[in-house]
Amino acid sequence: MMRVLKSREMLVLGLLVAMILAVATVNKAVLYPITLINIVNSSIFLVLLAIGQMFVVLTRGIDVSVGAIAGIAAVIFGFALNDGVPLPLAMLAAMLTGLVAGAVNGAGVVFVGIPPIIMTLSTLGIYRGLMRVLTGGSWIEEVPQSIKALAVTRVASVPLMVWAVAALILVTAFLLWRIKASRFFYAVGDNREGAYLLGLNVNATEFAAYALSGLFAGMAAIVFVGQIGFVPMQTGQGQELKAIAAVVLGGVSLMGGTGSIWSAVIGALFLTAVDSMMIFLHVPGSWNNAVAGAVLLAVVVSDYLIRRAVRNRQLARRAAEVLGAEAEPATGREVAS
Amino acid sequence: MTLPGWSKSWEAMLAAALVAELAILGMISPAFLNVENLLFSTSDFAHVIIAAVGLTLVIITAGIDISGVSVMGLASIVMGLAFVAGAPIGLAVVVALATGVAAGAFNGVVVSRTDVNPLVITLATLFLFSGIATGLPTLLDLLGFKAYGAGGFEAYQYEGITGLPKSFTWLGTGSLGWVPVPLIVTIAVALVAGLLLARTRFGRFLYFIGVSAEVARFSGVPVRRTLIGVYAFNGLCAAIAGLVLTAYFTSARSDLGSEALLNIITAVVLGGTSIQGGSGSVLGTFLAGLVLGYLRQGLLALGITSDVVPVIVGALLMGSVALKIGSAALARNRANRAATESGRRAVAATAHPD
Repeated sequence: MMRVLKSREMLVLGLLVAMILAVATVNKAVLYPITLINIVNSSIFLVLLAIGQMFVVLTRGIDVSVGAIAGIAAVIFGFALNDGVPLPLAMLAAMLTGLVAGAVNGAGVVFVGIPPIIMTLSTLGIYRGLMRVLTGGSWIEEVPQSIKALAVTRVASVPLMVWAVAALILVTAFLLWRIKASRFFYAVGDNREGAYLLGLNVNATEFAAYALSGLFAGMAAIVFVGQIGFVPMQTGQGQELKAIAAVVLGGVSLMGGTGSIWSAVIGALFLTAVDSMMIFLHVPGSWNNAVAGAVLLAVVVSDYLIRRAVRNRQLARRAAEVLGAEAEPATGREVAS
Repeated sequence: MTLPGWSKSWEAMLAAALVAELAILGMISPAFLNVENLLFSTSDFAHVIIAAVGLTLVIITAGIDISGVSVMGLASIVMGLAFVAGAPIGLAVVVALATGVAAGAFNGVVVSRTDVNPLVITLATLFLFSGIATGLPTLLDLLGFKAYGAGGFEAYQYEGITGLPKSFTWLGTGSLGWVPVPLIVTIAVALVAGLLLARTRFGRFLYFIGVSAEVARFSGVPVRRTLIGVYAFNGLCAAIAGLVLTAYFTSARSDLGSEALLNIITAVVLGGTSIQGGSGSVLGTFLAGLVLGYLRQGLLALGITSDVVPVIVGALLMGSVALKIGSAALARNRANRAATESGRRAVAATAHPD
């Protein structure tokens, strides 16, 4: 129990609650259920991107192409819908697009050995360019508006889409908890050689991480198109950096091996909530990025300071033990020497 | 085949690639191969090379700084605001450059004082600096300072801060004889960075830190001071790039350069700098920047839409790294085989000593 309470996820969740309460003292409207639901509703796109990103970062990689993958998946989704493909099949097409795009990243990183940031930066340019080539640079606007039903229909005043994403998160969390192979991501990220020597399939694990990242970006594209009802060229632009910021904020270390799906969810929620809070404080939207950046910087730096303090205390205790042992009568020491 | 050693270097290959590229583009569209055209089209991408030169030094230390693109916008808007506030243009430029150095040094302090990944730190400051750049004019306006220049808010939103004096826009649009000023600035920045890297102790420290920061520290290298210095230098380069771009567009905007990140990192990596640190050169980055820039210009001149350009740039980035990995693996194989052979011969020689 204590471990859960001390975790980075709880720290950020606490910060989130504190921020909302602090803003509530200025503007009570923040605490209306509808406000909170709307914050969650506008965060689910980033939540999905961040969950995908989490898999890659766990293995000590990085994927800066998720926004572009979401963009190209959205285009395929829009095309499929416009060609009269039934909705479930169109969704499948979007997810498949994401999966393939992610698999390309995985192939480059795992089988060619290109450093992750270079590989995904290349595909960022390639996917974003392809997206424009496919559409001729214009928005896809005539998407059947039935797709918006998912985002507009509310059950218990929460949009169906949010329920769906919540269910997806729970199922993913359950699978990650029950499937032993999900620990491979942590093992590979924490110590690649060690994982290899243990007999884990390191290559397959890394490949799977990038493919999953693409898959979740594909799902994010479905959410995006469902929420706004058309496909603009800017779909997902700049979101790759937000997704990385979200997972890091939530406690997934870029050094690999630490963090959980809740890190991604809470980090993404936090970043979205920051934007909303600015509105309630009547701060012009132009400051959103500055606040998000300052929060991320403050969290990672204070995390470092806390870790250092804890380690220093452990070292001090250890030093005291050693000194205490030396001060004792020499019996033990003679045996040792 | 006995080629001199320098001709096998990555830089020589880049130079050959540049010549080949210009020749091919020139064959397809002869108008492209006009000296004046070639010189003046560098103004379109000079800012990318300037920023990439600074980033090269950072990546050599095994670090990275993606916040440079935000510093470009920040320097631009700071210069514009200082000018609107009535500062002489020279002072405004100095203030903008100082802002860039301060922003870079801030990155350097956090990077060198914590164990947090530089990518995370500069990701945070990427948001922070761009947020400050977009927020600053609104804040000053709220405080009653007319930040938007003569045109008011509407005009500011569309065109940024305009009305900059000729003496400043000369930086982006002027020329000395045949050579455009942005190119001169680029070469000057590259020369300074190249000299820093090759001729000073500071430069050797950068490579040393890139190979192993730990060993460098135990060898008495002032790691923290060196890191702060190199990030500050990168901030200065980004600010110079931002100002050149401002002068070229003749307006100060907070979002200048935000699209350039892919191109900047591509120039550095294509230039032969290893993203893992410890190796790289300014000349390589400079040549790679020219290759990339002319590629874009040439493709546009051939009537290929600008949408395809990022696809080609991305493929080039991926391909160049894959090529390096492949050739390194080949060389390693060859060295291994040579070692086995010589070992076998030695064994054979001892077995039959006749």
